[in-house]
Amino acid sequence: MLSSTGLAGGAGTMLDGPDYAAEIAPIFAQRCVECHGPDRQESGLRLDLFPRVLGGGDSGEPGVVPGAAARSEVLRRITTEDEFEVMPPAGERLSDADAALLRRWIDAGAHGPEGQQAIGESTWAGDGDPRAHWAFQPLADGGVEGGGPSTLDDFIRAELEVAGLVPSPTAERRVLIRRLYLDVHGLLPAPEAVAAFVEDSSPDAWPRLVDEVLASPRYGERWAQHWLDVVQYAETNGFEMNTPRPTAYHYRDWVIRALNEDLPYDRFVFQQLAGDTVGEDAATGFLVAGASDEVKSEEVAYTAQQRQDELAAMVNTTSTAFLGLTVGCARCHNHKFDPVSQGEYYAMTAVLAGVRHGERPLASPEMEQRRQRVDGYRAELELLRDDLHARRRAVTSRWNEERFAPRPATALRFTVEATNRGEPCIDELEVWSGGENVALSAKPSSSGNLPGYPRHALAHINDGLVGNDHSWISDAPGGGWVQLDLAEGHVVDRVVWARDRSGRYDDRTPTRYRIELLDEGGAWTRVAGSQDRQEFGEEGGEERALAASPAVLESLATAEEALRLAQAAPPAMVYGGRLEEPPPVYRLFRGDVTAQRELVAPDIPAILGSLELTAEAPGPLRRVAMARAITEEAGALAARVMVNRIWAHHFGTGLVATPGDLGVNGAPPTHPALLDWLSARFIEGGWSMKAIHRRILLSDTYRQSSAPSPAALAVDADARWLWRFPPRRLEAEVLRDCILQLGGNLDLSMGGPGFSLFEPNDNYVRVYLPKASLDPGDHRRMVYLHKVRMETVPVFGAFDVPDAGQVCPTRGRSTTAIQALNLFNSPFVLAQARRMAARLEASGPDVVEVAYGLAYGRAAGPGEVQAAGAFIEQEGLEAFCRAVLNSNELVFLP
Amino acid sequence: MSSGLGFMAASHLLRADGRLVEDAVSIDPGAPFAARSPHFAPRAKNVVVIFCSGALSQVDSFDHKPELIRRHDTPLPGGDGLITFQGANGNLHRPLYDFRPRGECGKMTSDLLPQLGDLSDDLCYIHSLHTKTATHGPGENCMSTGYILDGFPSMGAWATYALGSECDDLPAFVAIPDPRGVPQSSINNWGAGFLPAAFQGTPFNAARPVQNLAPPPGLDLRRDRATRDFLRRLNEAHLDRYPGDAELAARIASYEMAARMQLSVPEVTDLSTESASTRRMYGTDDPNPLKAGFARNCLLARRLVEKGVRFVQLFNGAYAMGEGKGNWDGHQQLKTDYDVHGPILDQPAAALIRDLKQRGMLEDTLVVLCTEFGRMPTFQAGAQGRDHNPSAMTAILAGAGVKAPFTHGATDDFGWKSVVDPVSVHDFHATILHLLGLDHTRLTHYHNGLQRRLTDVHGEVISDILEG
Repeated sequence: MLSSTGLAGGAGTMLDGPDYAAEIAPIFAQRCVECHGPDRQESGLRLDLFPRVLGGGDSGEPGVVPGAAARSEVLRRITTEDEFEVMPPAGERLSDADAALLRRWIDAGAHGPEGQQAIGESTWAGDGDPRAHWAFQPLADGGVEGGGPSTLDDFIRAELEVAGLVPSPTAERRVLIRRLYLDVHGLLPAPEAVAAFVEDSSPDAWPRLVDEVLASPRYGERWAQHWLDVVQYAETNGFEMNTPRPTAYHYRDWVIRALNEDLPYDRFVFQQLAGDTVGEDAATGFLVAGASDEVKSEEVAYTAQQRQDELAAMVNTTSTAFLGLTVGCARCHNHKFDPVSQGEYYAMTAVLAGVRHGERPLASPEMEQRRQRVDGYRAELELLRDDLHARRRAVTSRWNEERFAPRPATALRFTVEATNRGEPCIDELEVWSGGENVALSAKPSSSGNLPGYPRHALAHINDGLVGNDHSWISDAPGGGWVQLDLAEGHVVDRVVWARDRSGRYDDRTPTRYRIELLDEGGAWTRVAGSQDRQEFGEEGGEERALAASPAVLESLATAEEALRLAQAAPPAMVYGGRLEEPPPVYRLFRGDVTAQRELVAPDIPAILGSLELTAEAPGPLRRVAMARAITEEAGALAARVMVNRIWAHHFGTGLVATPGDLGVNGAPPTHPALLDWLSARFIEGGWSMKAIHRRILLSDTYRQSSAPSPAALAVDADARWLWRFPPRRLEAEVLRDCILQLGGNLDLSMGGPGFSLFEPNDNYVRVYLPKASLDPGDHRRMVYLHKVRMETVPVFGAFDVPDAGQVCPTRGRSTTAIQALNLFNSPFVLAQARRMAARLEASGPDVVEVAYGLAYGRAAGPGEVQAAGAFIEQEGLEAFCRAVLNSNELVFLP
Repeated sequence: MSSGLGFMAASHLLRADGRLVEDAVSIDPGAPFAARSPHFAPRAKNVVVIFCSGALSQVDSFDHKPELIRRHDTPLPGGDGLITFQGANGNLHRPLYDFRPRGECGKMTSDLLPQLGDLSDDLCYIHSLHTKTATHGPGENCMSTGYILDGFPSMGAWATYALGSECDDLPAFVAIPDPRGVPQSSINNWGAGFLPAAFQGTPFNAARPVQNLAPPPGLDLRRDRATRDFLRRLNEAHLDRYPGDAELAARIASYEMAARMQLSVPEVTDLSTESASTRRMYGTDDPNPLKAGFARNCLLARRLVEKGVRFVQLFNGAYAMGEGKGNWDGHQQLKTDYDVHGPILDQPAAALIRDLKQRGMLEDTLVVLCTEFGRMPTFQAGAQGRDHNPSAMTAILAGAGVKAPFTHGATDDFGWKSVVDPVSVHDFHATILHLLGLDHTRLTHYHNGLQRRLTDVHGEVISDILEG
């Protein structure tokens, strides 16, 4: 390569090889531009504009790499021998002379016309400039000061006027409170609450009610579900095995808590991406909410493909949830609609590349206290032992400590010579060097392992977990050895071991044993063993240290027992991802794991900002940087996305009807100015979600009647201009919870492991069969349902509950005969009808009035009382309740 | 609120944006299964898919490879150090069932499935079908939805979303699980994905009825009817307060449809009205209960198609019992496993095709027999069975608009890789939609940023196999 190409950023001169305008552009113009020019951009490639030449096309391969003809896709396609790849695809090949000219031009630095800077990557193949798309612009906050509209209703009225529509009158109070409860809590208001509100004549009755409802924990339970839909949350792995993730629920509880506490949205984003850095481990359940295939194969490429699928789900969920951008297409080629290149997709992948599916310990105040307690007991034991000049009592199955003179070692071997019964078992072998258990990083080996029991595998000997379920068992009755090769040399002074620190088992206890250390010279030295201990099981197995007082002995026993118990409780875990250091991430040509291209540094798409990180940046820093960038540099977009989601759930449709996609291919906003105004208020209000709810709930627009008007229906059938409040069918969760409420047996206990509607099953490929009968614990709110990916739960699953196979920013709202069968015939609904009937029976003679109050929040009309009375007379109260539980008036949000 | 349904909104908005989606499917919420026009004149009105779960070995069934017999127990050329799904492979292994010519056409098929082979004059074999994965769950996903991931709409959901049904008292799409249980990917095989839930396949078979089809026993039927009437009166009175609301009206209509299903499903699953000779042909009373169960499912499939059900997906094989035991996943003891599975599949499936033909229904019914991927021509190292092979499998088409007897595509000398006219799963799906009168590039549904298709961005109709 010529040294003159080193002129950084300089415009091309004759010295730099062939001249672009005079020699190169004519070749492109003659042979390429017909398909890769202003009229057509086959595969997203344009060769008529110099800046775009370098970028290349949809494949993500750079068209021209200055100084490197050999890596330039344009030249490769011109010179290839492959008949399916060669360009131009028809007609004569480019002459050797032209190809040579191109090669020289590229190798010389591929300089363009004076003053034209090449852009690094092609980002756009469609019409116009996607960077001009509305969602990527700063918020246009022409509110109060600009003399524009100053309330939410002003914006709505302005557009209604343009459409020739008028707002509907305010709904009746009993309708308002019903709407509020169903929308915000997903539950029915109690008849007393309805009556109190209807009679409350104070001017602030509605704002007070709204505040009260938003302050209730029922709010978080209802709105968490909306978010869980978006992130494809489920408590099983998906795919064919679909086994449970028993600790995933911590994330669901975190979302509920975050909403109830009104965690500012920027923190809400941050904790889900990087909660591990601020002690919020449950929040990163977001990262691994999606499916992961447990079936691993021996094929390297397929395993890499599975990993890319996992990362794709993480990247896609992150961008859909927080940025309203669908970047998944850029996995294989530059995005066809949005300004996201293939390189930028892999840059986002690099941010999350250290996140693996799985559990990790859940940091919590309780766990921190426990850790401190364990340390405290250890210190206390230390002091007591010093007091005692430790003498030796008999082996116990629960706890044994060996102390010896500090000695350098590279390995330790524990040899069992006899047991009280069976093959020896050791739950954990701790090797202490001062205050550090160096066994944890050691490599174990053994004389043999009991086959067929994963919970007794060799790896448990130093996995940091104690108790029978995490123990090693030898394959030889009464004997065997286990060895720990230390990661590096250590001065070792203490060994702690036991048969089962959980205290459940006392068989398989090594009663005769020796402990030896290996020194650097390769010699073994015995440092401890059973020879100086009392016989196992011998009465009076206390210390023989008669010098010590009985009080000291007792404290010693107490401290040992306390340490044992503190260690034995399993650590709380959360399915929040195993967070590892990210491996290098490369762009993959056409998404093919076997076609690695250049190394990619973690970043967000350039249209949104930059993380300014290198490819070596540590994993947590990557996620921290992305989380901050989302609500800072990309804050306008992030605010629009969340405000739109909130709006969508209150009104049934978002201001942007595609809440997961605010990109070029998404729907345009019906009220762009309102969306920006609300988004500005959102940021200004410290990202308080409840403040946005409050603004919406207090508006006239929200409080309108939902009654139809034939004239307005003709103009705007879907009420997108909000001439009325749009009524709609309740979601599955609301429906189930309300039916349980009417049956009088909704269990409002919050949090913890979910209830299941499937029979327990241990098949290696889980089989989910509906439970034959329900337990009282199954009457909790449906948000606490153990969510099985890809399975439809009995009865209510048919009401458009997402399957958690893909992100679900908007639910369908279909009406099917299967829904009707489930609601009309299922034992669940019939049982609730029976309970509701019993409740009515106990309420006195006016059963119809009471039923209407409970179910519909209103008084029954005289005709209704009469018709229902006649029906009840004939068919009974239970049949009446069955009809009510199926009725449209119950099932629709008014 | 003429169209309060969520799934109407997306196409509506795209129109508002000036991005006209001219082929957007428009669905009457009151009658989601109403028949809708295809893109062009269809050859098939209905489809029956027989899905052999677990990966049916092509080299032991339909893909005759003399070279595999000749080179028995020698290394697979080009297979040095080959690692497949479960690991290392041993030598080539000859088919475990003998091949012989069948039908007038003399198609070579094996003794594993002789009755199906005997129908070769009516069958179109595709030997060059290949897929994207060697894992069962993703493989079933791919064959049923076009994607290896969970959560995409199934073929039957797409077909009924596009076309509705000819039948107003049965679901448009019925999935018939094997008597032994559900396949690996379970309901993802008949899921609606992001399409409206109405288009999810309704699972039931001859032994297990539709859930909640009938009120629990003991409920007085007259009272049941009276309650339904009372409910209708409640809903009509409510509709009076919301005149013109299609979603409310749709819900009333859904209860009418439910009532019709309550009558029609027991009727269609009652096989006692079939003649003794028909039952014998299928083997519904075979002493082998698994065969008899599958035979009853096959007979049910015919009865559903007769009633106008658009799409029937019939499963052969289930996963609850583990590898190879209840399905075609012959890793360790392929012969032992297949000696059990062959007879369960063969007579009933052959009877279904024969029965459809006898009744003239094969004219406008497409029968598809497929699996999630093929198997290796080698035995696995140290085993008496074959590992997964995504590079080749055999699928069979029969009926409406498909050439027969016909063979399309070929594998290499050993049945390992598709080499002549390879057919991707997308091509396969594009062809099935084409036979239903649907252009796979025009059948789309907006989801999260894209107009999604069954065939992703791929797929070419296999015109070679279409009848002129």
